[in-house]
Amino acid sequence: MVQHFPKYKPLIPIREVDGVVYVSGHGPEDINTYEPLYRGRVGAELSVDEGYQAAAECAKTLFRAVQERYGSLDCIRHMVRALALVNCAEGFQTPEKVADGFSDTCVEILQERGQHARTVMGTRNMPNHNIPVEVEMIFVLSDAYRNIGKGNKDGTV
Amino acid sequence: MGATETRMEQLGISLQQTDWRGKGTVEAVFAGDLLYLSAHYPVDEMGNPVYVGRVGGEIDEQTAYQAARLCGLNMLRTIQSYVGSLDRVDYFVKALCLVNSAGDFYNMPPVMNGFSDLMVEIFGHRGQHARAAMGAYVLEGNMPVCVDAIVRIRR
Repeated sequence: MVQHFPKYKPLIPIREVDGVVYVSGHGPEDINTYEPLYRGRVGAELSVDEGYQAAAECAKTLFRAVQERYGSLDCIRHMVRALALVNCAEGFQTPEKVADGFSDTCVEILQERGQHARTVMGTRNMPNHNIPVEVEMIFVLSDAYRNIGKGNKDGTV
Repeated sequence: MGATETRMEQLGISLQQTDWRGKGTVEAVFAGDLLYLSAHYPVDEMGNPVYVGRVGGEIDEQTAYQAARLCGLNMLRTIQSYVGSLDRVDYFVKALCLVNSAGDFYNMPPVMNGFSDLMVEIFGHRGQHARAAMGAYVLEGNMPVCVDAIVRIRR
């Protein structure tokens, strides 16, 4: 039997589990309107450099989500892992160069705390009017920030 | 900026800043007992691709199976360098396997068994893992497969 749950937004930007924080995939988006700052595939509509910039924007969007929840990026004890999806045009074969935009921004802001394990995957179609990059990440939370900040609407953290 | 830095600025002394670019990714990161591994590719000791091409195109299924096995061997090397002995591997948790697939290739699971079979051969039940195998449109260096994993390590 299909169970009906209250109609909350099914997606949340952040889920905290035992001091490990999972952040949803974020694209290079305007914080308020979710309007994408970049559109199109790398290798066609966008150059590698623009893709790199777009990936750097993804990092900023992710960090903004973290900041909104915990108040400060001091909450990041260290990053763990990132999965980067790169929207590739026919014949484009260096998605890792695009994802470097994300990784470089992480270490520039957090230094050694920003180092992470990474998987890069070239895809063909992306959400939100075909954004060029999307990145999700996992990080370890500093103890002082555990279970604080606004919880999710269903009362979980 | 502290008083010392201000003084240094007045004296015209500047320190070189570390350039962090390109140092963002590492092969593995610990989160508690879990070791999160980066994507591992079928490369040799020098990091040069051993297999190149799309599965179902330039690379056939059997070759891709061997490539997936090589990914696993490279991953074991990383784990060993991080924890000392592979005896410390408690069990494998999860693997995400990407197959660089040509137009109409849909047989990703048999390809990725190259990785999974290796882990079970070596670790037995401890090598078993949850797995997602999916086709990717592009992978780094046009290599046929890559695998990342989460492994639980004994204290």
